[in-house]
Amino acid sequence: MAEFTSSANDCSVVEAVQTQAFDVVVIGGGPAGMAAALAAHKTGARVAIVEREQHLGGILRQCIHPGFGLSHFKQELTGPEYAQRFIDQVHATDIALFLDSMVIGIDSGEPTEDTAVHTVTLMSPAGMLQLTGRAVVLAMGCRERTRSEIKIPGSRPAGVFTAGLAQRYINIENLKPGSRAVILGSGDIGLIMARRCTLEGISVEGVYELMPYANGLRRNVKNCLDDFGIPLHLSTTVTRAIGHDRVEAVEVSQVDEHLAPIAGTERIVPCDTLLLSVGLIPENELSVAAGVELDPRTRGAVVDQSLQTGVPGIFACGNVLHVYDLADNVTTESERAGAAAAAWALSGDAGASAARTGCELTVSPAGNASYALPGRITAVALTKLNFRVRRPVDTARVRILANGEELFAGKVRAFKPSVMESFPLPSKVIKQALDLGASEIVLSVDPVEEA
Amino acid sequence: MAETFDSAIVGAGITGCAIARQLARYDLSICVVETANDIALGASKANGGLVHAGYDPAPGTVKAQVNARGCELYGTWAQELGFLFRRTGSMVLGFNDEDRAHLEKLRRNGLANGVPELSIVGPDRIRELEPRASADATCALWCPSTGFVDPFEVAIAALENAVANGVTFMRSASVEAIEVAGSGDDAHFTLATPAGNVRCRYLINAAGNGAADISHMAGAEEFQMIWRQGNIVVLDKEPRTLMPLYPVPTPVSKGVIVTGTVHGNTVITATAAVREPGDTQTYASDVNALLTGARKLVPDLDTRRVVRAFAGGRPVIQGTNDFFIGQSAVVPGLFQAAGIQSPGVASAPAIAERMELVMREASVELHERADWDPVRRAPDDFDRAPLARKEELIESDPAWGQIVCRCETVPEAEIVAAIRRRPGAVSVEGVKRRCRAGMGRCQSGFCQSRVVAILARELGCDPSEVLLEDAGSWLVEGPLKGVR
Repeated sequence: MAEFTSSANDCSVVEAVQTQAFDVVVIGGGPAGMAAALAAHKTGARVAIVEREQHLGGILRQCIHPGFGLSHFKQELTGPEYAQRFIDQVHATDIALFLDSMVIGIDSGEPTEDTAVHTVTLMSPAGMLQLTGRAVVLAMGCRERTRSEIKIPGSRPAGVFTAGLAQRYINIENLKPGSRAVILGSGDIGLIMARRCTLEGISVEGVYELMPYANGLRRNVKNCLDDFGIPLHLSTTVTRAIGHDRVEAVEVSQVDEHLAPIAGTERIVPCDTLLLSVGLIPENELSVAAGVELDPRTRGAVVDQSLQTGVPGIFACGNVLHVYDLADNVTTESERAGAAAAAWALSGDAGASAARTGCELTVSPAGNASYALPGRITAVALTKLNFRVRRPVDTARVRILANGEELFAGKVRAFKPSVMESFPLPSKVIKQALDLGASEIVLSVDPVEEA
Repeated sequence: MAETFDSAIVGAGITGCAIARQLARYDLSICVVETANDIALGASKANGGLVHAGYDPAPGTVKAQVNARGCELYGTWAQELGFLFRRTGSMVLGFNDEDRAHLEKLRRNGLANGVPELSIVGPDRIRELEPRASADATCALWCPSTGFVDPFEVAIAALENAVANGVTFMRSASVEAIEVAGSGDDAHFTLATPAGNVRCRYLINAAGNGAADISHMAGAEEFQMIWRQGNIVVLDKEPRTLMPLYPVPTPVSKGVIVTGTVHGNTVITATAAVREPGDTQTYASDVNALLTGARKLVPDLDTRRVVRAFAGGRPVIQGTNDFFIGQSAVVPGLFQAAGIQSPGVASAPAIAERMELVMREASVELHERADWDPVRRAPDDFDRAPLARKEELIESDPAWGQIVCRCETVPEAEIVAAIRRRPGAVSVEGVKRRCRAGMGRCQSGFCQSRVVAILARELGCDPSEVLLEDAGSWLVEGPLKGVR
């Protein structure tokens, strides 16, 4: 009887496979991977990028809409244009590219902080190959949540697509996935696809959103729905797929404050296509197999302030770490991860070792904050905290607490779930927490009564 | 004009495929006639894949006989046909004294049915056998012979082996009428199908939920089918595969069972509700019942990780809970394998064996062929292959290194092989059932367009003609821009 191992588990048995040595091996050639690789390369590290596809660029290759680069390049670019800037930079360096190559395992041996060398096994039409790296940067991105994960009942006809798959059919394959679409989910991809479908002659019957507010960026609601007269139905969801062979209609229902469908509000919307934009999930199967611990809230790795995971020498950045709303921010974060990975590879120091002794704090979300990243702080230094809120709130503020004591309170303002927030945590607050003997810092977003 | 065969088998579900494989050993020309465009698209598709041991059916029933025997035969079948089969054993968990009494009854049932090595075990042994079983379970019926398979793979493997031994497979051939003509040695059936007519001496009815219609069309026994619908949920892969855990059964079903699969996923199977024939919809209430039932057996089960929910109908004959296997008492030459509901998968090899016996008893002459080959060479499964084999494959053809489905690590060459095998895949779902491309957690979000392109190329058609499953299930309309 065959054993139940998948390819991810048996990479350590390779002996005859060719090996190439690097300082930093970056897994993923999308915006995160390219930015990390370039930043690592800048410090003098020998860098490799491993990419599954035949081209660099990742998902940006199919994001032909504008809106990229506004913060990074102070210029509005399309996804492919934004990606191309980095592709050109990569090509101008001696960063080694392994395209059409799928990583099937990362073996970190017996990791000790000083001597760890990671072996990345990859496979391509040219055969198997192993790359060694003192540091590895995980930049595999994310996948879309599926119909099954949100448990839409009904039949299972053709014509139910994740928004990204429909985007690929339209923008890459030049294929029309249907004529009459309903979109579930007002995340950015859903909004972008509502406009894209309309422009391609696919009629969009409406965008339906489970929550009482739009989940995408405000500018996308305006530019993609309002400008095209596409209705957005809030607190409404798809409760049944109809059609045996191809989608013939969907049943939509309003939901109550617990997000449960309200009986009697069902409505049948005829359509031949259902697009789902119902969330993104970091793709961490490889990370887990490599021993990286995940945060159940982000479904990305637990990292410290240098974006190093719990496995020494393995770093993570971009959508594999936590799902972003803007590619520009992915670039900024990934540059940090790349630089830290190179520092680790070249000197065994990811920028924190001097202060590491005596600083070991976990960071937890509370109140309206759904997560906080990094989850660990190991240095007394200015630290960028990222978080999102669960629900929109008009007047609230960020509070930093340790041992129940408020160490810091931000200014009162509005917060939205669609926006990833960034908050600079001053080193003196970290110091205060340590002085209190705390092992945990709590980032809480709490409503403030208006005066 | 009709093509003529000695035997026609109606239905390419696991029952029909198993019978075809069994009879292919003999000097008979055989045709398998299937309504759908592929193998195992009916009840065999909506199935948890469990090879139940056979302690459940009432002693003396046909079910009781073929279930235990089928479970026994699976070892040999898996070896010869090259499909995955794990005999892990199973436990029926009891939570109180009443349950314990029921377990004792099941054990006695099992003994009467010839199920080997049944025993009632206590909490310590439960934890030892399956550490994730509920700590509230106070007793369990431990049954070492239970196992599980991928039901598609079993049906496909059986029919591939039958076809390699000369059996003809007709797809998209829904039987619309049956003419019974002649008498004595000249007696024959003519089946009218949209794919052409089939004339045969012996007709085997393995039509699953369509079995009553076939029997009626042939002028044989009249019976009614009940659509006992079941919802099933598949969860993502786990580092360790779960042993099948059953609750104490209800009068109509085995209840909500949690089991590992041969691919390392977890399956929760199945609800049981009589619904409109043909209803394959999933229901929110059923899916909730599955998840709740599963957590009772395995409290730490992460039920957020649903990869797929699906549903199908068990072909139940009204008025009996038993299988109907035998020659028609009304129309000689018609052999029935009807009402093959649960445990149809577990029983399939034994149903095939019994069908052979029934035919011999009806004086059908079965002479063994000299060139019969019981062995099917399974296609290469890249994900499971050892690294050395992976390298060999990539060296033989770079398309083995071109991964199309990233969740299940399925390279292009494996998809091409699935399409080129006989009978091969003709749809995206057909590819999925044969090599798992699209079966994983992203549910083909990344690979569907690539699989469509490969199917179009291999079948010599336009992407707009590529089907998700059967007729009408088109995926794309055609090009957006440029010349059509």
